Amino acid sequence: MTSPATAAPSVPPSLSLPPSQFARLQPHAYLLAHLSPPPAMNQPSVRANGRAASQFRVTSANAGSLTHTNGSAVVRIGDTAAVCGVRAELLHTEDIASWSVSQSSSATNQSNEAGGQGTDAENEVDRAQIEDLNLLVPNLSLSTGCAPGFIPSAPPSALAQSLSHQILSLLHSTRLVKADDLRVWYQPPNLEHIENEMDVDGGSENRHPREIKAFWVLYIDIMIISLAGNAFDAAWASVLAALRDTKLPKAWWDVDNETILCSEDINEAHKLSLRGMPIASSFCVFEADAAAGWRAVVIPDAEEQNAEKQKKKGPQSRWILADPDGYEEGLTMEKACVVVDKENGKTVILKMEKLGGWTIDTEDLRQLVDISAQRWDEMKQILG
Amino acid sequence: MLKLPLIKLEMNDRRRINGPPGGTRPAVFASHLESSSAADRARRERQPTELRKIFLKTGLIPSASGSSYLEFQPSASLAAARETPKSLIPPSSALKLACTVHGPKPLPRSAAFSPNLVLTTHVKYAPFAARKRKGHIRDASERDLGVHLETALRGAIIAERWPKSGIDLTITILEAEDDRWWADAPDSHDASWGMMNVLAGCITAASAAIADAHIDCLDLVAGGVAALVSDDSGDSSTTSPRLMLDTDPAEHRSIMSACVVAYMPARDEITELWLKGDSSKAALENGDARSAHEALIDGAVDAARGAYSVLGDALRESVLQTIQS
Repeated sequence: MTSPATAAPSVPPSLSLPPSQFARLQPHAYLLAHLSPPPAMNQPSVRANGRAASQFRVTSANAGSLTHTNGSAVVRIGDTAAVCGVRAELLHTEDIASWSVSQSSSATNQSNEAGGQGTDAENEVDRAQIEDLNLLVPNLSLSTGCAPGFIPSAPPSALAQSLSHQILSLLHSTRLVKADDLRVWYQPPNLEHIENEMDVDGGSENRHPREIKAFWVLYIDIMIISLAGNAFDAAWASVLAALRDTKLPKAWWDVDNETILCSEDINEAHKLSLRGMPIASSFCVFEADAAAGWRAVVIPDAEEQNAEKQKKKGPQSRWILADPDGYEEGLTMEKACVVVDKENGKTVILKMEKLGGWTIDTEDLRQLVDISAQRWDEMKQILG
Repeated sequence: MLKLPLIKLEMNDRRRINGPPGGTRPAVFASHLESSSAADRARRERQPTELRKIFLKTGLIPSASGSSYLEFQPSASLAAARETPKSLIPPSSALKLACTVHGPKPLPRSAAFSPNLVLTTHVKYAPFAARKRKGHIRDASERDLGVHLETALRGAIIAERWPKSGIDLTITILEAEDDRWWADAPDSHDASWGMMNVLAGCITAASAAIADAHIDCLDLVAGGVAALVSDDSGDSSTTSPRLMLDTDPAEHRSIMSACVVAYMPARDEITELWLKGDSSKAALENGDARSAHEALIDGAVDAARGAYSVLGDALRESVLQTIQS
């Protein structure tokens, strides 16, 4: 991947170091030398790992290989590998402390508006049930020996906690899983004729509306088996692939046993119907002189002009690198993450995050969205 | 009437995302309540001395100094169930695990002086590894596995070559073996038999990862399992248990006794021996003067020899690859 010739210009000829050692001793200069080779060399600007700036690593996905899960997937992005398993368990409504209260306010609304006009209200009930009842439980683990820094016996590191939370909030904000897939309904039998016999008055047809007896709770566990940068993209792709693979058994309320029973028949099981296919793409910004921005005096108008000038005149001073590997992540401060989906060929931005610096401007963000849209097409092929 | 305990998994763990505060219940299948028919139970289709195939590959995790991935061949029933899925309940499961080695690295300043290499082992089941959901914090059985694994490896590593340094060995079990067939009621012969297969797999994978990390060893250590099983459906009083190698607990009605060894063929040395259960009732062939537990250990050693050949091939392959590239 890295030829000695590319690293050579920065190394004085008297002192020759193999590229791998130079990469460790002077990582910043090493990457810079790759990205901006001297014009005399007549070489294209590539990253130290041989990729172009907007190129993602080779990605593969494999779903349904784990036995004890409702859905599972292994996703490899370059040397980063994530395994995700989805396990479904039942939450009985009788175990929900506030169920009878919340149900009387929301569920009746819903049953009235189930005729089709109240989609907003339905969406709200959807969101409220999934979020308030904690029906999606993603947890990401880095304590697998995936990288040297993480102690296996220690509690989840700050990175692991943050990634778990990002996945949870993305699951909630994209509303990927429909609450209706997770509900277990029960239609009480119509006992009207018996009641009539017993002479009880006022038996209307709506007397026994069907009720929710339980919810499926999806425990989404992600093990990062190998970490070489960009854990979020890999973890999210594995969650998405595992949820697309997830099958929930047919479940019903059994009156005799007073519990929920499931059918083991695979033909009766239903797949989750997910809303869209959000794909995450992460980027990082490599700066030729990282401290330059901090020294500059910021005068709002002048700064904009200067930036314009710099763009025209000077050599390129920063590169936006797609899908950074571990080496590049260690050299950059500014990071960006864009989550997009496509509906009928139209790109929809579902999440946009940019932190750690100020070099990405509006124009760049627009480009990042375009790159992410291309990545979406690529990932659609991979996930099948 | 069914009584199901509510499972509360680390409810107060604020570093993780917890599920509903009231806890959740695993799904109960309707067919589970009726008496399960014996016809569709998993059966062993291998010969008593025939081992399962092992998939072993080293160096899959580049950020670690050594790594390996191990997978057992799925049993015939599981392979059939994957081919044409009918039921949501898997008939049995096949071991899958990943192992990484970090080090040798200097011990922290606070650690006491050690003239030898300090080996630390961590074994962790993924939450979705077993039929019952596992917690995120290592439980006693996982710690026990770690200790067994450490003793198995300590005898093989030439530890005095790395004074004042340590290695961290971590195993993540993605899929574990069952302790019995899923529909069988727990009985008196019940023990965590699946754990012994897991340990054998851990030993083999760990040995490959240590070799991949270029740490000097006396020999490769391979793990092997043998068990005395009685498979009779009716009265088991007439026939006595038989010796089988590399048993999958899901394929047998009851396991009387099982043994796992860590074995180094070059020195004919056992570094770890773990024997459980009652081996007094076993019937050996006529003319066999060995006692039942000796036969059990010999069987486990034979199984380990089989794993050793896989181990050697996998390492040879990875060495050839590094030479060629």
